[in-house]
Amino acid sequence: MTAPTLAALFAVGLVVLIVAFLIVTTYNAVMALRQRIDKAWANIDVVLKQRYDQLPALVSAVRGLMAFEQDVLTEVARARAAYSPTEPIPDQAVHAEATTRAVRSLVAVVEAYPEVRSDRNVLDLQDEIERLESMIADRRELYNDQVYRYNARITTLPTSLLAPLFGWRERPFFAAAPEELARPTADL
Amino acid sequence: MRTMPVGAFPQLALVAVAGLVAGLWLLARGMAGYRDATRLADTATSRIATLAAGEVQVSGVIEPAELTLISPLQSVVCVYYRSSVDTSNDGTDVDADFREERAVGFRVRDPSGDIRVFPRAARWDAPVVLDEATGLMGDEPAGLQLRTGGAIAPSEVEREAAIAALLTVPSAPAASTLSRIGGGMGTRFGGSNGHRRYREARLAPGDAVTIIGRAVPFGDLADPTEADIAMGSDLAADDPEVLGDIAEARAAGVLEATPEEAWGNAAIPGFGIGLPVRAPELDPEAAPPPIASADQALAAERRFAIAPETLVLASAPGVPLLIAHGIPTAAVDRHQGRFVVGLLGAVVAIASAMALALLVTGAFGS
Repeated sequence: MTAPTLAALFAVGLVVLIVAFLIVTTYNAVMALRQRIDKAWANIDVVLKQRYDQLPALVSAVRGLMAFEQDVLTEVARARAAYSPTEPIPDQAVHAEATTRAVRSLVAVVEAYPEVRSDRNVLDLQDEIERLESMIADRRELYNDQVYRYNARITTLPTSLLAPLFGWRERPFFAAAPEELARPTADL
Repeated sequence: MRTMPVGAFPQLALVAVAGLVAGLWLLARGMAGYRDATRLADTATSRIATLAAGEVQVSGVIEPAELTLISPLQSVVCVYYRSSVDTSNDGTDVDADFREERAVGFRVRDPSGDIRVFPRAARWDAPVVLDEATGLMGDEPAGLQLRTGGAIAPSEVEREAAIAALLTVPSAPAASTLSRIGGGMGTRFGGSNGHRRYREARLAPGDAVTIIGRAVPFGDLADPTEADIAMGSDLAADDPEVLGDIAEARAAGVLEATPEEAWGNAAIPGFGIGLPVRAPELDPEAAPPPIASADQALAAERRFAIAPETLVLASAPGVPLLIAHGIPTAAVDRHQGRFVVGLLGAVVAIASAMALALLVTGAFGS
């Protein structure tokens, strides 16, 4: 084998190496993105479950002191009951949004009752719920950011060429559709 | 066709080989950069306050933790440095006179909170802040301010020490200083009249960084100093065999009973890195350091103590810690730029291989 042939083989080999590197790196990157989305969703799910567990304690703590605000309490209970970890993510987003709105209404009403606000137990529960709400908001943002990166990657070149081969499809965002957000709540 | 052997173009052959090696090196560096760029670009940035355990990316500003470093070439307080001094006597023969890379743990803060970073086994992408050489007359570069004291400093400077440092006029480093940081290569480093090139990359408190790593509870972290008694083995510290070995070593006089006996003053918390909590044993002629008050000792203990459930950032198998300076987009752009340079390196390598082949066959110059 002559030196020019070796040089040509070297050039072809280097190009093949670069192309193979890009394919392998892209595949691994998409797999890692999917893992990150799953992890981000699991982290949201944990907090949703914690909120689901905490809400009855808050409702029962304020129920006796807020006899004239049964509508708000009922709305919180109804929103909580809609939580189902097995339903599709967009549906969970609708229910999570509804629960957040109901909890905000409850917190706003509690502000009007000095005797409720002075209850140490209620304050602790309220702080915990607000902490969980803040955590849900942050983790939802992180999840959606991760989904955005994944969707953007698999729909742009060169990854979009590999997407049909490996069956990569866009993932849903954890967000309620605008028409769902516009839907009036039961207490109005 | 008249052909000419390689020997007719020895310098061209040398350039071709150098181009081949440099091109492949650039390609390898570019591929590593591409992997890092992909990892940085594909990971969403978490808020520190609501961080969950697992692989995360955070972005914020460096804050010192318990200790800081003093960089060797510019004496700047930092948490990481990579410094080198190279000497060339005839412009081509380069000697690596001094190479040092060190890091200490630090905190990174974003608007929501802060988290402790244990940089063991981390990959660093730090900006080069000093890249200067001696002048034609052998004069040292203006930015050079060699370290004259210890490499480690407490993160909180005492008021009196800060005032004393401000009132002290720094003097030009003597040749012996160069020899000292040269780490035993002093005669070449400090005494040579050769052309010296100084390079220093570092990350300092206040710098913006983007970090990818694993958030783990501090209690789950492998001993960051690897001081575990049975590290690297399956034996627990209370294993009868280990206890027997310890007792045997103590009986033989090769293992002291207490840290105070083994390390002397160094076992006193705060000694050498701040205010000691009790009086050290000193030479009668030495000036005794001030002793920490109970409040100061408690504050220092709080600073060093980390609750086991507190999340910290560290390397983990499969998730190496990557610490890159700048905000995420800047770090991604920088790494992608390396990949582009790597592709150019591949072109250089192919061209060099072609040129080498022509030289070998003698086709070149025919």
